[in-house]
Amino acid sequence: MTSEDPTRSVLTRRRVLAGAATAVAIGAGAGIGGTELSTHLSGGAGATSAGESLAPPDVDLMQEHGVLKRVLLIYQTSLSGLQAGSGPLESRFVSAIHNGALIIHDFIEAFHEALEEGYVFPALRDAGQLVSTVDTLLLQHARGRERTQVILANATQTAMADPVIRNQVSDAVDSFVRMYQPHEAREDTVVFPAFRALLGARRLEELAATFGHLQQEQLGSNAFADAVNQVAAIEQSLGIYELTQFTPPAVVP
Amino acid sequence: MSPHKPKRWKRSGWIALATMTIAGCGATHSRPLIISTTVSLRVADFPQLHTQALVDGQGYALYMFAPDQRRAVTCTNTCPLTWPPLTIPTGQRPATGPGVEGNLIGTDALTDGERVVTYNGWPLYTYTADVQPGTASGQAIDLNGGLWYLLAPDGNPITAPGGLASTSPRTA
Repeated sequence: MTSEDPTRSVLTRRRVLAGAATAVAIGAGAGIGGTELSTHLSGGAGATSAGESLAPPDVDLMQEHGVLKRVLLIYQTSLSGLQAGSGPLESRFVSAIHNGALIIHDFIEAFHEALEEGYVFPALRDAGQLVSTVDTLLLQHARGRERTQVILANATQTAMADPVIRNQVSDAVDSFVRMYQPHEAREDTVVFPAFRALLGARRLEELAATFGHLQQEQLGSNAFADAVNQVAAIEQSLGIYELTQFTPPAVVP
Repeated sequence: MSPHKPKRWKRSGWIALATMTIAGCGATHSRPLIISTTVSLRVADFPQLHTQALVDGQGYALYMFAPDQRRAVTCTNTCPLTWPPLTIPTGQRPATGPGVEGNLIGTDALTDGERVVTYNGWPLYTYTADVQPGTASGQAIDLNGGLWYLLAPDGNPITAPGGLASTSPRTA
């Protein structure tokens, strides 16, 4: 484990965390104990413990995008692994896709995107800003959810033994990744800053509290930490958790 | 609880937006509420699903939520941000178009004097991600704790697969 890894287990929540048991199992199999998140993140992404300083809503949403980004990497890695294999399906790739989709379904689609749909997009629309972009983002939410349904229904070892199903899952994962990379990048760099600029300091604080309350009601106060821990466990199972492996060698002059 | 009110698109005909709390559900957060001058139901074709289904006055698909079990709104917390219920002021009834069975229309109390329109006992919702009338992107989606289906004019859920699955009978 790296020095930033905590020892505190927070994999306790509800259906996002229904994948938790699986994630823990994956993590245990990978020899990590299943958690990575340090307490400095527990105040982020909507946590509402008394006395905590809440992240502004746009920052909150960007932190949640970090979870999405990590699932996209899980998807890409798993897809590459499946496509590279010529023999039987490697179960770790199938499991990683399925467990990643559970996080997308419960944390991103049912929570994070709902906040965008209920607060961010309407505010921009009412202000006459980024209207066409918002329509595109909404349509992409719908298309993404359709793909997640396909992935959750079919990303199993048994179903994917059928080449037709395997192709369906691969197409769904591939198109999901391709769509969400520019989707979240546009939101982070254009949509959320525009949204923030529409709100005064007081409304930002109010909205931060609202986001925190909704998260606590729906997913529990540790939902963000839970999601991060699940993602970390899946990354471990795929051997992509250690950040150092992504550092390229020095350029030789 | 939140002074900041979530809002919904101002589709043609909608004139006001407010917030409310679902009665009896214990929720304390604001959620979107649509008030219109005339709430109406009609029937529209959904060629991609080979069916007709209920839509609102602007042609947006109306859905039922299976966990409601024809009893009450159970879409709470962030759910109504994605699936805003079709609401109507107390004392009003929706206008209806051809094919809509008037005897199946009802309302259920929410709070603040507002009511959700029901059809055959099912509370009705729109889907925020349906950006155009005539689309049904939410058909047969399992989201926010249950399945979402269009409603046939006879009041029964249309359970045909939607989205990618509608062109792929091998997927759920």
